[in-house]
Amino acid sequence: METTEIKEKISEALESVLGHSNFETNDELTAQDVDGWDSLSHMMIITKIEEQFDIKFKLRDLNKLKNLGSLVSVIQGKI
Amino acid sequence: MNLQQALSHSITRNLDRIAFVINEQEYTYKDLAESISGIRKIIQEKVSDNEVHIGLIANDDIQTYAAIFAIWFEGKSYVPLDPESPEERNDNIIKQTNIRSIVDSSDVVVYPDYNTISSTMAKGNIDDLEPKQVRDKSIAYILFTSGTTGIPKGVPITFSNLIAFCDAFFDFGIQIDENDRCLQMFGLTFDVSVMSFMLPVLKGARVYTIPKDEIKFSYIFELIQDERLSYALMVPSILHYLRPYFDEIDSPYLKYSLFCGEGLPVDVTEEWAQRLPNTKIMNVYGPTESTMLCTGYTYDKDAKKTHNGVVSIGKPWKGVETIIINESNEILETGKKGELCLAGSLLTPGYWMNPEKNEEAFFYTEYNGKKTRFYKTGDLSYIDADGDIMFLGRIDFQAKVQGGYRVELSEVELYAKEGLHKINAVAVAYTNGVGSTEIGLVIESEKFDLTELSEYMKAKMPAYMIPSQIKFMETFPLNVNGKIDRKELTTIF
Repeated sequence: METTEIKEKISEALESVLGHSNFETNDELTAQDVDGWDSLSHMMIITKIEEQFDIKFKLRDLNKLKNLGSLVSVIQGKI
Repeated sequence: MNLQQALSHSITRNLDRIAFVINEQEYTYKDLAESISGIRKIIQEKVSDNEVHIGLIANDDIQTYAAIFAIWFEGKSYVPLDPESPEERNDNIIKQTNIRSIVDSSDVVVYPDYNTISSTMAKGNIDDLEPKQVRDKSIAYILFTSGTTGIPKGVPITFSNLIAFCDAFFDFGIQIDENDRCLQMFGLTFDVSVMSFMLPVLKGARVYTIPKDEIKFSYIFELIQDERLSYALMVPSILHYLRPYFDEIDSPYLKYSLFCGEGLPVDVTEEWAQRLPNTKIMNVYGPTESTMLCTGYTYDKDAKKTHNGVVSIGKPWKGVETIIINESNEILETGKKGELCLAGSLLTPGYWMNPEKNEEAFFYTEYNGKKTRFYKTGDLSYIDADGDIMFLGRIDFQAKVQGGYRVELSEVELYAKEGLHKINAVAVAYTNGVGSTEIGLVIESEKFDLTELSEYMKAKMPAYMIPSQIKFMETFPLNVNGKIDRKELTTIF
């Protein structure tokens, strides 16, 4: 899957959990840059992304997700 | 030897060993000693002798931990201030304790209007670790818990409380030595943080903290797997989060898994025990008012002691007395349900400058022929024939519905969870439009059809116990201590 397509799907997941799209999907984007992306919504976002790509993250993956770029590459490694 | 001397000796004995691992960076006991000594020098220069309580910005770095020991070695007490807490709350704490000096390791000083003790660059000689003489009755720390009125309540704990705590903790059967690797997952404004760094330092062991921007449960997993943690005190909600990933966990090194802070469900405990056959699971209990912990239960898979699916909190520790009372402060007999009360050498001298709260929460009664001061925990419990205490929930988790039926919310939860096959659920008592109490159930999941659950609950519980409303929530809100925020859940009804 193309990087842009992955980002688009992530963006959809974020929007559906957070209820807004006030963020730019560049590689450096972190949770701190996005309103409402806290430890609580984080688990919901992770679950949503797992559903959308039909993948399952490992515990170790979760700690690697430092920014959007790393999220994309972890997803690429799984699909 | 007093507590400060014991800590100082341990630090000096273990200079080459690693004391803290913070954000993957290792700090030796020598690093810790130099920092302590440097901060002490600034305190001696900038803080007057009659100033007893020192504010501490609760950061996660070696300087902040060093500052606690420095404050103690100077015979003073620390009052942690969470920089992420609302300003009004911190201002109130500062005012109540009359703080004038604040130790701060932040790049930008949080409270510039106070006498700031900047700890970042402080470095001194490791030969200057001898603590000042202090009376054991002196206060070691004051922690603030949320009061029902919205004004935080201060709980002072003395050095003699801490000495009694260490004695009771090791008497319970936990051994920590210089080879141990211990978890410190709590913010410094949460009481059990104190034992999580103090006990390892007392034994020359290693302390692993969790950086603020990391996800706690997955970070703990990596510490268990990669850093070979041998001792961990956690809140049960960590187990809930880890549960979907239990098959990835496998460490022979974790000797002790301790749980505190909320009811420990037996089903997830069983699975944890199966994943980690070398770990001793201990369910420990205690309020801030009784120096962190005061009872404990060692889980035995062949003789599980539970009530409504929640593991027992065991027997009182050394130096602790427990009784169960009714609403008239009368001691109840074995097996009767009532409010758990605590006495003994771990009890706080009383809430900080708060005579009304002290009047409410502490009382004297005749016990074993002696007039004894007890603290009312607000926890609903009973003591079984073996002397093990069963935790049933908060007193206020007990609801009276339909004109007087007493309902234990934990019991509603038990049947709901059975009917839900491992999905988490919380029962709350809420007030309906006409001012009477009803029971609500919140299920941690996306929406699904409730017919099966309703049938199951009807088969198990009398009608008055069945939740009158059921709502879904994808993830439960947690309070600052990492426990499920039941108050918040009540507000959705």
